[in-house]
Amino acid sequence: MSTGYERLAKKLVARATKLGAKQAEAFVQVGREASCRVRDGEIEHLSQSTSKGVGLRVYVKNRLGFAWTSDFEPSSLDAFVTRALQLAEAAAPNPLNGLPGEHELGAFPDVGALYDAEVASLSPDWKITAALEMEKAARAFDPKVKTVESVEAGESVGEVFLASSAGVSGYSQGTSVYLYTGAVAEAAGQLQNSWWYDARRFLADLESPEAVATEAARRAVRMLGAKKVKSQRVPVVFDPMMAASFIGGIAGAVNGDAVYKKASFLAGKLGQRIAPPSVTVVDDGLLPRGLATSPFDGEGVPTRRSPLVEQGVLKTFLYDAFTARKAKARSTGNASRGYRSLPGIGTHNLYLEPGTVTPEALVKGVSHGFYVTSMLGHGANLVTGDYSRGANGLWIENGELTRPVQEVTVAGNLLEMLSRIDGIGADLTFRGSVGAPTIRFSELTVSGE
Amino acid sequence: MAARGCYGATPMNAGPLLPLPLVERLLAAAMERGAEFAEVYVERNETTAVTLDEHKVKSAQAGLSQGVGVRVIAGAKVGYAYSDDLDDEALFRAARTAAFIAHGKGHEQAFAVSRTPLPTFYRVPEHLAAVAVEAKRDLLVRANKAAHAFDARVKQVMASYADSTKRILVANTRGHLAEDTQDLCRINVMAVAEGKKGERRTGSFGGGGRVPFSHFDTFTPEAVANEAARQACATLGAQDAVAGEQTVVLAPGWSGILLHEAVGHGLEADFIRKGTSLFAGKLGEKVASELVTVIDDGTMANARGSLNVDDEGTPTQFKVLIERGVLKGYMYDSLNAKLMGKASTGSGRRESFKHTPLPRMTNTYLAPGEDSHDDIVKSVASGVYCANFGGGQVDITNGNFVFEVSEAYEIKKGRLGRPLKGVTLIGVGPEALKNVSRVGNDPLPDPGMGTCGKDGQGVPVGVGLPTVRIDKMTVGGTRVAGGRR
Repeated sequence: MSTGYERLAKKLVARATKLGAKQAEAFVQVGREASCRVRDGEIEHLSQSTSKGVGLRVYVKNRLGFAWTSDFEPSSLDAFVTRALQLAEAAAPNPLNGLPGEHELGAFPDVGALYDAEVASLSPDWKITAALEMEKAARAFDPKVKTVESVEAGESVGEVFLASSAGVSGYSQGTSVYLYTGAVAEAAGQLQNSWWYDARRFLADLESPEAVATEAARRAVRMLGAKKVKSQRVPVVFDPMMAASFIGGIAGAVNGDAVYKKASFLAGKLGQRIAPPSVTVVDDGLLPRGLATSPFDGEGVPTRRSPLVEQGVLKTFLYDAFTARKAKARSTGNASRGYRSLPGIGTHNLYLEPGTVTPEALVKGVSHGFYVTSMLGHGANLVTGDYSRGANGLWIENGELTRPVQEVTVAGNLLEMLSRIDGIGADLTFRGSVGAPTIRFSELTVSGE
Repeated sequence: MAARGCYGATPMNAGPLLPLPLVERLLAAAMERGAEFAEVYVERNETTAVTLDEHKVKSAQAGLSQGVGVRVIAGAKVGYAYSDDLDDEALFRAARTAAFIAHGKGHEQAFAVSRTPLPTFYRVPEHLAAVAVEAKRDLLVRANKAAHAFDARVKQVMASYADSTKRILVANTRGHLAEDTQDLCRINVMAVAEGKKGERRTGSFGGGGRVPFSHFDTFTPEAVANEAARQACATLGAQDAVAGEQTVVLAPGWSGILLHEAVGHGLEADFIRKGTSLFAGKLGEKVASELVTVIDDGTMANARGSLNVDDEGTPTQFKVLIERGVLKGYMYDSLNAKLMGKASTGSGRRESFKHTPLPRMTNTYLAPGEDSHDDIVKSVASGVYCANFGGGQVDITNGNFVFEVSEAYEIKKGRLGRPLKGVTLIGVGPEALKNVSRVGNDPLPDPGMGTCGKDGQGVPVGVGLPTVRIDKMTVGGTRVAGGRR
């Protein structure tokens, strides 16, 4: 099968160039996925599917056309190539258009294994059993767990084939497996829900169903009785999941396109100190067994490990080939895409390097403050750096986590927030492809009553 | 060479998406293990997109996705499988995979389906997929020009156009067959204005619907661009908002997103059945101020959220969810309706054949009241006027919702004052509804730009609202009243 898709990708490129495209690139994705959800000890939802698709990017007289399809009938594919070329006619010519240059391409790095045969051959029974275990463990955690909203286990297997007239021929194959629990707790008429999940490439790396479910239940139950607090400026601690989402926001601001357009609050700050020396943020395309690890990016450029912020100093912006050409830079191997979209700039495995103190010690150092465990809303304006999100969590009094808090916002400016990081925990954990340890800000605005 | 028309082997509107005898045989295969119900959903979706950036039409794109999803229900258990290969072997494999959910022996059974006549809430004589891409491109070129001409402070403009022509066929073992063609388009313009000391503000506006392309003759790209540019320039020099409880006034139209998030999601039947919504078990109870009547209407002419038929083949409805503050009904898909002993309200929607239907909103709006916009603003001694919203999110279990207000002004002694930045509204749905103290006589649907996400599935929706005053709303900001930043 696999070689068939590789041949298909090359054939589409050859046909497009024959029909007049100066450059062409075909990106084929093939995958299958399966999942199981249970409820009240019974299977609620069982699904299993296969999918495939191809995206074709062509340049005709410096004009970009793009078409994608999931219809692989030979007769349809001929019309599909023609369509991509026609679309290019409608776009404006841009001398900066084009596939990655020779100086950006090269041998793919050895990223190690990304495919787990055990995941690829997981039986429906494994998923059913894992989901049932999660439901049981969430209920057993506390009688206040009123309902287990959703427990799900699933896996996917994906392959990517990339061929281009720039001479790229890439193939990569990977697996992923996940567990998810959503739990709802109730007390005194108040409902609180929380979820927890783990996703990995290898089954051996996955947290146990019991651990995932217990954490979801623990997070829901401890929020019971949550109330607003008064508006005030206090030290704020983000748990690792919230810290990861904060780091994700920063990553949006090192997007080379936003920087080029001065639509990022980090534009013009390359080489400058933007955070304390304890802060190092890395985007790593090579992380062993990482969910977002791959040998090449969405246009065939070899991936790498890029320190974004090193000891507080802004080191790199992220580029795909087009943006790099605009900004007179080089692609950093960060073209991100699926077959239905043109490459855009994205991160691989993104993380904040851990510090040396325990998360407990970070909380201990706070007399009055807010420990944030979940957030609502998108929050960060990357142009201005203004940040404001709905936040839930636990109030800190004299170094101890005390009562639950909800219906407040945490606000600041990302640049100011970065400079206010005064503690980083040793507890780096990955949820998906973004990871962070617990972090503490010396002071942020909490808005409530 | 004009890039017109469709590609692929099947021209638009050429008979059913799958031959009906094949659909019937797939249903029979899906029932082989003795389930109660099976459904075949076939979809063919052609999309076009054009983007403009830095004064240039960056790319023109087109996509085609097609596939079949088979759903089998046995009690509360659902088996689902899809395939984007349409050959018989792949389709029967999908049907038998979905059938696996049932454990009975089953028996050979034939199923015949027949077409249900459907209403027509949107007529698009020339399908959007058949409109030349050059015409779509030209909208963006005009928008770019207009936004830059609006004000010299406009430094960047990004514009996009996207449309889809989606054909669906849904057939089930109750003999029901529905087919629909759903056109949908939208233009969007984002403008960045630069003020003193390099301050940058963005404005964003757009719209469309299930409309013919000629919609843009009246809803012009210039008007869209001017509004985006106006927002960007109007918010230059904005001050930090004061954090804490304040009176807020919501401008009519797109502000309805607040209603969608704060109330709408909590009335979807899956959350009700599982007891995870704080509106569960409250039918007939007062859940809002008497001024509040909330409607979900899938039948509005040409609206973005309208459907002739939902993705389970059930016609959509006009539904009163809350009437004068009293909770009247929920939104049901067929599975949750069956399990709760109710009838589907035509609210079963899915993003594509790769997903199972969920109860979802269509066009959700607040019915008008009696006050004029100006009287409502005049009634506020001190507060915040929310002219435009970014996005929002809700936790349906504890009711917490959050909204980013992209254009806001302070209200002082009944008059609009300086622009505010960084304003976020946060509240608990039912509490906010109880604090609605004025509702305007100026209902306004949004221009057609909303997409709602749930369980990873995005579907187009409409929202609407007259001017509304809400007391005691928590405003998030960086400035604490009485204190220094």
